[in-house]
Amino acid sequence: MSQAANGQRADGSRSLRLSKLTKEFAAFTAVKSLDLEVPAGSFFALLGPSGCGKTTTLRMVAGLETPTSGSIHLGDLDVTYEKPYRRPVNTVFQNYALFPHLDIYENVAFGLRRRGGKEVDRQVREMLDLVELTTQARKKPPQLSGGQQQRVALARALINRPDVLLLDEPLGALDLKLRRSMQLEIKRIQTEVGLTFVHVTHDQEEAMTMADTIAVMNAGVIEQMGSPDELYENPRTTFVANFLGQSNLIAGTIVGRDGDVVKVDMEGTVVSIPAERAHADAGKGWVGIRPEKVLIAPAGEPINAPGNHMTGGVVTDVSFVGVSTQYLVRMPWGQELMVFEQNTGHRAMLAPGTHVDVSWRPEFAFLLDASQDVNAGIEEA
Amino acid sequence: MAAVETSAPPGPTTPAQPGRRKLTGYWLLLPGALWLGVFFVIPFYSLLATSLYDPKGSVLGGYDVTFHLANFVDAIRDNADVLVRSLWYAGLATLFCLLLGYVLAYAIAFKAGRWRNLLLVLVIAPFFTSFLVRTLSWKLILADDGFVVNTLQTLHLMGDNDRLLATPVAVIAGLTYNFLPFMVLPLYASLEKIDHRLIEAAGDLYASPVRAWFKVTWPLSLPGVVAGTLLTFIPAAGDYINASLLGSPNQRMVGNVIQNLFSATGDYAAAGALSVILLTIIIGLVLIYVRTAGTEDLV
Amino acid sequence: MPGDSRIGRRTILKGAAGAVFGLGSVAVLPVFGQGGKKQDPAQCRADDESARDKRLVISNWPEYLDEDDGKNLSTLHLFEKKTGIKVSYTDDVNDNIEFFGKVKNQLGSCQSSKRDMFMLTDWMAARMIQVGWIQELDKTKVPNLHANLIDSLAHVGWDPNREYSAPWQSGLTGIAYNKKKVKEVRTFEELLTRPDLRGRISLLTEMRDTMGLIMLIDGTDPSRFTQAQWDKALERLRKARHDGQVRAFTGNEYIQDLAAGNVVACEAWSGDVANAGNDDLVFVPPEEGMMIWADNMLIPNLATHTANAERWIDYYYDPEVAAKLADYNQYICPVKGAQQAMEKIDPDNVDNELIFPTEKTLSVTHSFMALSEDQIRSYEGDFADVTGG
Repeated sequence: MSQAANGQRADGSRSLRLSKLTKEFAAFTAVKSLDLEVPAGSFFALLGPSGCGKTTTLRMVAGLETPTSGSIHLGDLDVTYEKPYRRPVNTVFQNYALFPHLDIYENVAFGLRRRGGKEVDRQVREMLDLVELTTQARKKPPQLSGGQQQRVALARALINRPDVLLLDEPLGALDLKLRRSMQLEIKRIQTEVGLTFVHVTHDQEEAMTMADTIAVMNAGVIEQMGSPDELYENPRTTFVANFLGQSNLIAGTIVGRDGDVVKVDMEGTVVSIPAERAHADAGKGWVGIRPEKVLIAPAGEPINAPGNHMTGGVVTDVSFVGVSTQYLVRMPWGQELMVFEQNTGHRAMLAPGTHVDVSWRPEFAFLLDASQDVNAGIEEA
Repeated sequence: MAAVETSAPPGPTTPAQPGRRKLTGYWLLLPGALWLGVFFVIPFYSLLATSLYDPKGSVLGGYDVTFHLANFVDAIRDNADVLVRSLWYAGLATLFCLLLGYVLAYAIAFKAGRWRNLLLVLVIAPFFTSFLVRTLSWKLILADDGFVVNTLQTLHLMGDNDRLLATPVAVIAGLTYNFLPFMVLPLYASLEKIDHRLIEAAGDLYASPVRAWFKVTWPLSLPGVVAGTLLTFIPAAGDYINASLLGSPNQRMVGNVIQNLFSATGDYAAAGALSVILLTIIIGLVLIYVRTAGTEDLV
Repeated sequence: MPGDSRIGRRTILKGAAGAVFGLGSVAVLPVFGQGGKKQDPAQCRADDESARDKRLVISNWPEYLDEDDGKNLSTLHLFEKKTGIKVSYTDDVNDNIEFFGKVKNQLGSCQSSKRDMFMLTDWMAARMIQVGWIQELDKTKVPNLHANLIDSLAHVGWDPNREYSAPWQSGLTGIAYNKKKVKEVRTFEELLTRPDLRGRISLLTEMRDTMGLIMLIDGTDPSRFTQAQWDKALERLRKARHDGQVRAFTGNEYIQDLAAGNVVACEAWSGDVANAGNDDLVFVPPEEGMMIWADNMLIPNLATHTANAERWIDYYYDPEVAAKLADYNQYICPVKGAQQAMEKIDPDNVDNELIFPTEKTLSVTHSFMALSEDQIRSYEGDFADVTGG
């Protein structure tokens, strides 16, 4: 991953840098002053609900939309207003947009032929090998299955060795099982070819499976950017906390900072949250804890690995999903907390109505600013 | 026959069922067959018979079918120049229709936005008045003393003794005008179906807008081009209104000759033979054309 | 492979089916022959409903009947007032052959043409009478006709005693030109050859008028010509057409092109020019001579208002009515006594040669030879080859 000063790697792929990128349509602003840097050779995901501006951002990078202001750089190259057909960028379109009048071979060869590339035949055959479609070369796109069409779309873009490959919801049209295997397939290919991939999706699981770095986008701005585990474990906003996985968000009052921790009075219990996980430092706050981090036991029984301990809960709902059991526990202050317990088998399931205590380790909790909507990101996910 | 065989359900079923299904199929064919019989087969036979009339027949004395094949030889000998002229005029008019119609259909399909429906209505609007009236009004527009000719003469684009009416220009322009909607509508239908993302994809794959048009838009609009050119060329080749109203006797087309032979001279045999020849030429050209264009599924 | 023999059998079956279909088709074609169109007017007639149904349906040429003029009612309205008969009058005769095409299927198979009367030129009238499509007039109901018809028209070869037809108007065929656009055109030959007229003249689709005038260029008598003379005249026409001299062959609509300026000179019928109401348009008798003709009132088979039609004929043979009509349409009046009646109506027209031609004028007019059915086909065919193809 040695990166040259101009942002271009030895193998030709370049970093992508968006600065203050803005796109306004007549009625609304789709993208608001977006700053973003995608390192060369990385697999980057733009994750967000529909209408958040991620596709518009992608289309601006591809040159299919003209930005209202801001700039787009590939390495040192300013491509903000470059025509799409002059950009070293290729796109895997949603629903693939394969040319129905050309066979698979010609679809894949399309970009090479336009650029007058040499050894078209050898390159096309190699690419068809890579996506395992050699035998389908002379078929027309409608004769192929969805997964095969998807691979053609990928091959058609990849063969041009673009500085940046854009994928616009590439797996949206496939069924769940196929989607899983294609996720791994695309990841494999990316590792193999080493190009910069920018992947737009609304599916958080897909983004986490494939991407090195995820930018979570909401209403035209990036809420948070980081590696998948960073985003999951330490969300900075309620939107990220809810959109990536699920979170229990409990209202609290910040008492103050004490060394490396921030103390919060949460419905009578004072909990300590590590300073690097606290994204508010005074007044009200949301204490967040992921459901699988919450431990549960019948009232009075000791809880393994104790931390912040709360009593007086009642189980209101139980659902068994195989690898785990998901409980809803009503706490004395009326809020229902989600608790996921691994199916280790050391205890029987707790029936609804059971009085329980819950507990979590303080280093797993996070603290968010109370000015945000506690439900942000739930509906959309 | 093949259609009936495949429509029968495969595998063993009760013996009565396939038979009944077959019958149902035939009953459903009946209206179509009747339609074809009354409006195509009978008139066609009648025309064929007319082309084989004894050329000595007359309206008052009657006509007998004497299988006088020399009618065809005579018709070609007497009208070769007119046949060539008809195909030439119709071909040129089709070409102009294609050039104008493609631009128009493209603009309506891709650029018109909310004006699209209005523009489509405007394309069809000429059909609300009769073909004859529209062509007659062109006669007024192109008249020797009309403003078009006067303007062109004032600008010295035309000599003082030049004219538009009664020239090949007027006839071809009339054909182009009258058949333009037949070109625009199928072109629009096939352009409108093109997924805009395919054109974006071509741009994304290094095709300039011009290359994208040649490599994606044009091949995908070919069914419309073929349908439009056929719908224009076939009626234009047989048209007689434009030549008779906008042309002089030196611009007569085969339609005028047939009309004249039928209604003025009463020479049904020659008229019938010429009609059959025109029909044959057009079918031949269409077959060659469709084969070349690679859209056999239209035939 | 077993398929081979099957394919062979299929091919044979297909070939056999094709042959049967082809032979069947050939066998069925004669069904589409057409019988002759001759009828017997005595057999093919309808009951006269004139008394009960006071109507009359007439087809005539355009601009051929006077119109209401301020307080003066037209002759047609006076007829309606006088007789109580309601007249449906349509000017849908534009060309003899075209009109023949309109009615031939009905009259040729003894069906109603939906008309009680139409006006056609001599030769077409002759042809229709000959094939029995026209009803005989009741002599007792048209006394004016037999009393007042001018002598020159009383005994034509195709209807010697005017038992089937009554002349409506007679006329001359000559030249018209636009004096503002072109200098005088004096001969028919000039019309066909003068370079300044190229592409700006029209000729009539009436073969007898056009070919008659062309024959007169060579001094040929259109009422007695040989095949060689015909061929020579046809060649003149062919040359004019190929040189682009002729802009159009037209029926009655030539007058619109002349008025619009698309045509500056043309072959024309005498009354049309005066009727056009345009002082720039002039009718000239060509120096070679003129053609003379008459349009005739005819009552077709299965007309249902025969007696009303006969009243119409008798009415228009009243000299005063005839003078009024001629004053409007400027054609030769076929009614004796109309010239005297004209003195009261419009003294200017009493000496109008186009309405009341003198012997001297009539001496340079010609009519076209009567043609047999074979000659009609041959000459009409020749003419159509040049005008239509």
